[in-house]
Amino acid sequence: MKRKLLLGFMAFVCATFTVSAQRIVSGKVSSSDDGSTIPGVNVVLKGTTTGTTTDLDGNYRLSVPEEGGTLVFSFIGLVAQEIEIGSRSVLDVSMDSDVQQLSEVVVTALGIERESRDIGYAISAVDGEELVKSRETNIVNSLQGKVTGVSITQSSGNLGGSTKILVRGVTSLTSGRNNPLWVVDGVPIYDSNTNTSREGQETRITGQRDFGNGAAALNPDDIESINVLKGAAATSLYGSRAAAGVIVVTTKRGKAGAGGKPTITVNSSVRFDQVFKAPDLQYKYGGGDFYRPDSSLWGTGWGPRIVGQTVTDPISKERVPLRAYEDNWKDFYETGKTFINNVSVQDASERGDYRLSLTSLNQTGILPNSELNRITAAFNAGFKHNDFIKSRFSVQYVNTDNTGVGAGGANDQNIVNWLDFGPSLDVNAMKPWKDESGNQINNPDPLSNNIFWVRNENASDRKDDRFIGSYQVDLTPFQGFTVSGRVGLDWNYDRRFLENSVGTITRLQGNFDIDNIQRRQINVDVIASYTTNINQDISLSVLGGYNYNSRVFTREQLFSNQLVIPELFAPGNASVNTPNRDFNERRLFGLYGQANISYKDYLTLTLSARNDWSSTLPLDNNSYFYPAVSTAFVFTDAFNISNNILSYGKFRASWAQVGNDTNPYQTLFSYDPLTISQGQYSLNLTYPYGNQGVLGFRAAPEIPNAELRPEEQTSIELGTELSFFNGNIGVDVTYFKTNNKDQILQAAIPESTGFGFRFVNAGEIENEGIEFALNFRLANGPVKWNSTVNFSHVESTVVSLFEGTDELQIASGFTSVAVKAVPGKEYQLFAIPVLRDTITGRPIVQASDGTRVAGEQKAFGTVLPDFTMGFVNNFSWKGLSLSFTIDWRQGGLISARTVEDLVNQGMTEETLQNREGTFIDRAALVDKGDGVLVQNDIPLRSSKDFWQSLDDNGIGEHSIFEATFVKLREVAISYQLPKSIVDNTPFQAVQFGIEGRNLALLYSKVPHIDPEVNLFGSGVDGFGIEQSNVPSTRSYGFNLKLTF
Amino acid sequence: MKKLGILALILSFAVITQRCDSALDINTDPLVATSADPNTVLPAVTVTYEARRTSELGTRIMDVSQHFGACFNSPKTGGGTSQTLTGNTWDVFYTDCLGNLSLLETDSRAAGDVRNNVTAVALIMKSLIFWDLTSIYEFIPYTEALNGQEFPSPAFDDQETVLKGIVDDLDEAIGLIGNIPSSGVFDISQSDVIYQGNMGNWEKFANTLKLRILMMIRNKDAAYADARIPALLNGDDLIETNAEAARFRYFTSPGNQNAFFTIVTAFFGPDNESTQVHGPGPVLTQMLEDSGDPRLGLFFTDLSGTGTYPLPAAGIGGFPSATETVIANSIIRSDYPSIWALPAEVEFYRAEAILKGIAGVNGDAATAYENGVQLALEYWGQDIDGVQRTLTDAQITAYVSSLGAPTLADVYDQQYLESFMRPILSWNTVRRNNAPTLAVVPGSNIAGGIIKRFNYSNDEISANPNTPANPPIDQNMWFEP
Repeated sequence: MKRKLLLGFMAFVCATFTVSAQRIVSGKVSSSDDGSTIPGVNVVLKGTTTGTTTDLDGNYRLSVPEEGGTLVFSFIGLVAQEIEIGSRSVLDVSMDSDVQQLSEVVVTALGIERESRDIGYAISAVDGEELVKSRETNIVNSLQGKVTGVSITQSSGNLGGSTKILVRGVTSLTSGRNNPLWVVDGVPIYDSNTNTSREGQETRITGQRDFGNGAAALNPDDIESINVLKGAAATSLYGSRAAAGVIVVTTKRGKAGAGGKPTITVNSSVRFDQVFKAPDLQYKYGGGDFYRPDSSLWGTGWGPRIVGQTVTDPISKERVPLRAYEDNWKDFYETGKTFINNVSVQDASERGDYRLSLTSLNQTGILPNSELNRITAAFNAGFKHNDFIKSRFSVQYVNTDNTGVGAGGANDQNIVNWLDFGPSLDVNAMKPWKDESGNQINNPDPLSNNIFWVRNENASDRKDDRFIGSYQVDLTPFQGFTVSGRVGLDWNYDRRFLENSVGTITRLQGNFDIDNIQRRQINVDVIASYTTNINQDISLSVLGGYNYNSRVFTREQLFSNQLVIPELFAPGNASVNTPNRDFNERRLFGLYGQANISYKDYLTLTLSARNDWSSTLPLDNNSYFYPAVSTAFVFTDAFNISNNILSYGKFRASWAQVGNDTNPYQTLFSYDPLTISQGQYSLNLTYPYGNQGVLGFRAAPEIPNAELRPEEQTSIELGTELSFFNGNIGVDVTYFKTNNKDQILQAAIPESTGFGFRFVNAGEIENEGIEFALNFRLANGPVKWNSTVNFSHVESTVVSLFEGTDELQIASGFTSVAVKAVPGKEYQLFAIPVLRDTITGRPIVQASDGTRVAGEQKAFGTVLPDFTMGFVNNFSWKGLSLSFTIDWRQGGLISARTVEDLVNQGMTEETLQNREGTFIDRAALVDKGDGVLVQNDIPLRSSKDFWQSLDDNGIGEHSIFEATFVKLREVAISYQLPKSIVDNTPFQAVQFGIEGRNLALLYSKVPHIDPEVNLFGSGVDGFGIEQSNVPSTRSYGFNLKLTF
Repeated sequence: MKKLGILALILSFAVITQRCDSALDINTDPLVATSADPNTVLPAVTVTYEARRTSELGTRIMDVSQHFGACFNSPKTGGGTSQTLTGNTWDVFYTDCLGNLSLLETDSRAAGDVRNNVTAVALIMKSLIFWDLTSIYEFIPYTEALNGQEFPSPAFDDQETVLKGIVDDLDEAIGLIGNIPSSGVFDISQSDVIYQGNMGNWEKFANTLKLRILMMIRNKDAAYADARIPALLNGDDLIETNAEAARFRYFTSPGNQNAFFTIVTAFFGPDNESTQVHGPGPVLTQMLEDSGDPRLGLFFTDLSGTGTYPLPAAGIGGFPSATETVIANSIIRSDYPSIWALPAEVEFYRAEAILKGIAGVNGDAATAYENGVQLALEYWGQDIDGVQRTLTDAQITAYVSSLGAPTLADVYDQQYLESFMRPILSWNTVRRNNAPTLAVVPGSNIAGGIIKRFNYSNDEISANPNTPANPPIDQNMWFEP
């Protein structure tokens, strides 16, 4: 990053320094992070105009007065230092990164680097160092709390699982189209979260395996910076895919090592993962029913009070004293272990640079037999052939082997959740899980699998090869004019294998699913740019470009059932083989242009425009044009009002439109050749069917639309950046409003029309919000403190849907719980409530049995947060540094099915109330037939009847909670050995540290579970629904970084 | 040199990206068809209907009529109807089945008389599925259904409108069958998995379905029904022999097996008798035992070996034990056919019509009653596809000859027995006749212990503003007495 900053910085540095030599001070400036030398650092004798900049090797020489003075070392992105010269003639300086400071040169759309002061919209930048302080296996999680305007939710504790990221709220009514575009070194990449459920079911609630999102393949060790482009003005040059924001990733390039040698860095972390939050379970009552032991219901807590009475153990079948097995889940969930080792070699000269990096990630999860092994090889090299031509090549190859991925949702024999740990269940007695013949043993009841069997015998694996590469050539025929060509490839071969071994209850005959997915994306940009100074005051830069983007998705699946030889996963060994193929291809051409006019370097106007032609739209209506305009005004420079209090002030404004296309194949009617007709429990019928071997074609359930038009997003943004007290306090405030209308929707229509959906241009969402970032830094001698508070509030209001519809279902669970779009509101969580007295709000029970009466399905509120906040802190004292991040989400609802189920089964502490004898729901009213509601006195047979009736008739109200939480997200302590010690070692720098993630849930309104979960993974917009997710984890560990 | 370099760069990228106009003409899915032959659509509808009918409705709600002692996720457990069950049924029946039948019907009508057979089959299957739907939900979109262009939010019709509309549809189908040209007819002999293109049998099934519906209507509009029933019963266009039975065949080959069987083999073990999954309900068992009906031994296996056919105590979730009674492996087998209509049903309607004094119905009740029992015993003991447990002619004759003159209650009992393994018909039989008296399951919070309807699909509620509020699930339907 620093080298890149140098290049940008040097291009704009015009200052010259007057030299009045009396004696020479020289030295080397290096980074305290990795010991690398820093070229381009300003070195100025304080109080004078005497100064210089460091050369490519970080060296400087400066004439200073004989009596000395103070040298001021400054560089963009680093904390400035003032050092007394004294009598020294050699003065080496180690400079610290200025964490979270918005870089002076930032990466904008198409990888164009621009000065921050010229930009008329908000960009959030995170330095690569921030991403490796406490390394995450999914890079998206590393951004939590550190960027304004984004909302990040990790789906579960699944190894390799996905994380959902939203930039400035929900923009599309189409589930799954709200994920931002990821761009790596100028190349758009996939961030797909393709679902694989049991036997090809399309639903994400039936045994969903979350195999991660595509961007998770990015390796934090190889990333120089991440820039989040949020508004349409920022993203419009990327074209129609950028309507939900862009995350621009720049990978590391080689930097010059000390003494002309390459720099070798070894960075190793060891981490341990444990269950983040366990429910508050009760251990006073054992398994059974109505306070009697029942071995078939051992997984519940509705049995007798545990007093040592003799019962039949459901596993051993022996008569034993009944006892509680407190925290028996600890006998199942393991301590996960993570080893991350990175070795990089890098060097640079005036002609070129390279960086080669190898990273090995080896992780075991809290679920037994779950592993994630990932190898990443990254290479980035640039070469300046001459003044006319230079080129750069960047490639990342990622090999992922993810085994034992947990199943979520429901209706899958491989789901292990908290319900599997009944209070009187001896989990250890379930080991071993198979006999010598390979048969399942020690399962808790005839209808349930041994949880160790499903974890150890049934596969749920993913192997993935990913290649992300780009090649760029820059031609500069004359000063100021450059033609760049860049071609990029993102290729992904993703193989999934799901298997139920013979003997698995509910799949006794065994089955396996093979799901091979290939994605290939080719992206080409040709950009011509010209920069010139029209006169002393006005500078102009223009660019024009051409873009080609092609994406191909291919999927081949095989579902094989009923195996003859248990462990032979060949189609010929299965009685039923059902194949499936899927394919789609899309292409897009774009022409774009941009002009920046800058006046006296304090007022900049940027105009941009792009026209796209998309293959997914009707041929005669596939072209769409969209313009953008933005301005930046550094008023402190314009009015020359910069002073010791207000150091810098900028106002920015932008307006932009972005068009958008849709998914392929929505314009033509089709009949699908069927391979199965789906039955309950996936007991499907297959084609060809019967003795006659008939085939089946079915009309697609969606009505196509041959007159689709491009979507339209209009965005305005206003903001200011203020810096006080010489940059020690910074404030960045942004207001934005975005309207996304004419959306291409797969609109649900009444199934009684014979179709389930139709494609329409309709609907509008308006996003309005404010982002606020406060930066604070304090340096007092060796003590340094940087602190940033990020605040984001966005309201994503559904303005309209489509004619004849007043609600649109976005996602739904098994019960009445659903996330829906309703005009005039944010996305709402719907469920069937308890019928309540309209005056007192108290629930009403049935006179016949005392159970609560169900009302009509209604909205309980939005699933989206009111606001999110992050509090990022960095302290350092000499070589010791401490950083921590606190993450706060306020508001938004969650339906926690795990809580509902635990209560239903009498497993949580609150179900201990009034356990024995009859139970009266005293919070309720009852109508005893005379139409008058009176205090309820209708007894239920027991408290079991009360708790179990809470979800009767589809009532979902009791599982809904406000998902507010405050988390201690990240803590890292590191110590860098003093140079005096390191100098006696083979190393240039040695740093070791302690790191932790998700360390504490400081506040939560959701009982029993981590409120930060999402059943559906990142691929759809099923915020706010939880069901049997793998528990999230708390991580802690150690880090060692050696620089040679 | 520099100019050449720039030119080369631009050209090289241009080559990669092809020509714009033709390169964008790729928005056609290569894995789907833009049109489909009736010989592919008809099997898809039939098989998809069965995949839902037997697996979802069959294995899950046979305990509503108490033919089975317990089912998985029966709508009567938990105090409501399963959203999944009700949503899946609505979705598949309306979109995958009725939607495709409607397309098939439209295309076939456009093709003219040579496809009258296809149009007729489409109409008959639509009638069958609409009958299923109104039996499950009562008020359903019918007159405005399957016509989204004109009716984007179809209104819900009352049951009388639906049932009478089906009768008209069946009449039209029968008329089309009568107007099939003698040559050039579209060949559906391979794709028709029910009758292999035998349109005479389709006509008999249409008439039998019409009779079934008229008997439902008769509870509320006797004049309408009685004006039509005699002609049907006196004619010769009803299913009269077991060879003409309407049934969907399952096979022993995996992937083509009956869901009652596959749920056992997937979840529990090799067969029903060794795993005791499907057990009979007490009313059905008692009825067979009390009458000495030989179907007792065909339907059930007494694992106690005592011949007393013990059952688990009544209750939700009461699966039999290894020493109680289960549905026989001869029924719960891979190739057990799914029955749509049998001749015995016709004969019992005939007996009922005569006993109820419907004017103009020929014959006598006792003969019809005996014929019905005879046909039923022959079907279960001799004629069913892949018969395993058999009855000899002598056994059948002995039992039939032991029957006395039937009362209406006797006919209702036989109708209840006759509807064995047919989830909707058995449920309708209990509701239509208000007989036999079923047991109230302890712990059930449904009045009378039997649900009368399903709740509407949430998807339909969300998308169709005309969806009525859900009546209580124990509220009678229009056709019930």
